[in-house]
Amino acid sequence: MRSIYGDEAETVIADGRYGFISGLLKDVLKKPPIERLTLSDKIDRVIINRWLGIPLFLAIMFGVFQFVFKLSVPFMDWIDAGFGWLAGLVSGIGGWGGSLLADGVIGGVGSVLIFVPPIFLLFIAIAVLEDCGYMARAAFIMDRVMHKIGLHGRSFIPMILGFGCNIPGIMATRTIENPKDRLTTILINPFMSCGARLPIFVLLAGYFFAAQAGLVVFCMYIIGIVVAIIMALVFRKTLFRGVSSHFVMELPPYRLPTVKGVLTHMWERGRLFLRKAGTIIFGVVVLVWLLDYTGALEPIGSAIAPVFAPCGFGQWQAAVSLFFGFLAKEVVVGTMGTLFAAEEGVLGGAIAAQLGWTPLIAFAFMVFCLLYIPCVAAVATIKSETNSWKWPLFAIFYTTAIAWIVATLIFQIGSLFVG
Amino acid sequence: MAKEIIVALAGNPNSGKTTVFNNLTGARQHVGNWPGVTVEKKEGSCNYKGYSIKVVDLPGVYSLTAYSPDEVVARNFIVEEKPDAVVDIVDASSLERNLYLAVQLLEMGARLIVALNMMDEADSRNYRIDVEGLSHLLGAPVVPMVANRNRGTEELLEEIIKVAEKEVEVKELVISYGQEVEEEIARLERLISQDGELSSKYSPRWLAVKLLEGDEEIVKKFKDVKAG
Amino acid sequence: MNQLIPLAMVIPGEMVQVVDVRAGWGLRRKLADMGLTPGVIIRVMNSQMPGPIVIDLRGSRLVLGYGMTQKILVKRV
Repeated sequence: MRSIYGDEAETVIADGRYGFISGLLKDVLKKPPIERLTLSDKIDRVIINRWLGIPLFLAIMFGVFQFVFKLSVPFMDWIDAGFGWLAGLVSGIGGWGGSLLADGVIGGVGSVLIFVPPIFLLFIAIAVLEDCGYMARAAFIMDRVMHKIGLHGRSFIPMILGFGCNIPGIMATRTIENPKDRLTTILINPFMSCGARLPIFVLLAGYFFAAQAGLVVFCMYIIGIVVAIIMALVFRKTLFRGVSSHFVMELPPYRLPTVKGVLTHMWERGRLFLRKAGTIIFGVVVLVWLLDYTGALEPIGSAIAPVFAPCGFGQWQAAVSLFFGFLAKEVVVGTMGTLFAAEEGVLGGAIAAQLGWTPLIAFAFMVFCLLYIPCVAAVATIKSETNSWKWPLFAIFYTTAIAWIVATLIFQIGSLFVG
Repeated sequence: MAKEIIVALAGNPNSGKTTVFNNLTGARQHVGNWPGVTVEKKEGSCNYKGYSIKVVDLPGVYSLTAYSPDEVVARNFIVEEKPDAVVDIVDASSLERNLYLAVQLLEMGARLIVALNMMDEADSRNYRIDVEGLSHLLGAPVVPMVANRNRGTEELLEEIIKVAEKEVEVKELVISYGQEVEEEIARLERLISQDGELSSKYSPRWLAVKLLEGDEEIVKKFKDVKAG
Repeated sequence: MNQLIPLAMVIPGEMVQVVDVRAGWGLRRKLADMGLTPGVIIRVMNSQMPGPIVIDLRGSRLVLGYGMTQKILVKRV
């Protein structure tokens, strides 16, 4: 009962359908005779130009970066002031209740919520790029580059999304048909510095590097990309050898994004962040406060801390923050905020004073946070997208191993220069 | 008690399907996964003129030949759940390619409404589309829309109700594929009609065409039937 | 004059007719679904040779990777 024609018939059938459509459209659709170059085509002459394409892309990315960070500053100050006021209100309450509120909740959650402006602005930027059609162009432009690391253009969009949040980034790999390409893209996605790591970078870079803070944060993103590229090459040569698959993608016409559309997309992703803040982060911060208040935290931290000594931050507070950072990376800052009973403004100073960190140590710590374990939600996403436990567990171990190695190298080698 | 209608939204990726879905359902949406696959399932609802309308947003696909999980999910929903109406959101500025899916839906005998979206883009390119003519030649209602500006949504709802209430009949489309292929189709149709179960559920001609296309899901179904 | 060449050798602006796709069954079907059937006339809009290209196919714009352009045989019209 099997068809003898095989694929010949399919092509005839597809052709038949298109033939029907053509005939139909002759009667029904009138196009201007010399149509050919649409406005989108003209724009594309520049945007996906052989020589201008990549520089333009980098310029746009830089523009997005500036937009997000410069614009969030006033909002962040405003939120910071708000939490400061709240802390003032609460300072009158004594006992463990007061401590819980002031140190636990306000210190912990406050230090994370202050990052709502940059994270939401980043989601807005991504939504605009997607809705106007530029993302597809980015994938086209970067295809040649992606080939050099064994992937292709379609792997590029998940990586860009990963800069907002790794979860939509990992989910966006669904469009990649080749399973090996898809797995590689999923496994390197956590190195795209997601929005949740911003609090850590801004906090530490802001305090320890003052004037060069922006440059240092930019460095983090670059390091993430470099590690991702190296790992992609490694994976391609070892675990996932094989032929790369076919790149077929529609290039939709450029469209002007609507305010409603952009805000909807921003909200779809942003509200997950808020939900995380309201639940996981809140829960962990309270847990940390509780463990701290009952004195159980320091022993736990001290037991783990020696592991981090070669990296330069073998203190129990750092160990504890990193440990809980697995649940959600924002928690690293949230935990520190609780432990040092300080909001963002003075947290940096508190860390420096109490832990004796130097800029070098702070840098190594930031790199560790950048590279280690994807947050629990991302791990869960990896599991559901790959339908197995093997890959999420692998992701946990290999990212942490790399984080430890790189942070140690930075600290050890850096110490030789800085002393 | 409001009358319940189930509507499926189909269409190419980038055709504005999500915008239409949002226009219809507003905030009343629920996102999940189709059982057994990692394909996203979006459902929503709205009320219109006394009808309670459940809207299912099918994955964006270029075709229904079951080559990828997205296509399988979309195709299965239409065939198994038999929604009261299927809306194919078509990008008016890219008609030729977009109609490929509409044609397949019509061949399946779906209760199709063509939502001709992005009319503004087509206008800006100076296209003139004879909507009535298109509707007549396809044998299905056509609703021009600009979903971005929420234009055409009410007209679409009106057509959905008309089709669901069978005030408007959508004909099954039959395309002639040339003598050789047609002969093969006729031969397969005869064989298929011998199996009562399959031919009662699906149109024999459609099954024959799918077999010739080498559609894996359909081939599997036949193997199952032969075994059982 | 009317010999078959791979799509990879076509320069932007040229219009060509698709004659054959030297690829596996799955890929041929996928391309056919998108409108790339034998006999269809396409135009190369943009090229990143050696790299992907953009073609005008039945009014839409489609990106084809380098590997694919080597497998699609066309002739100039």
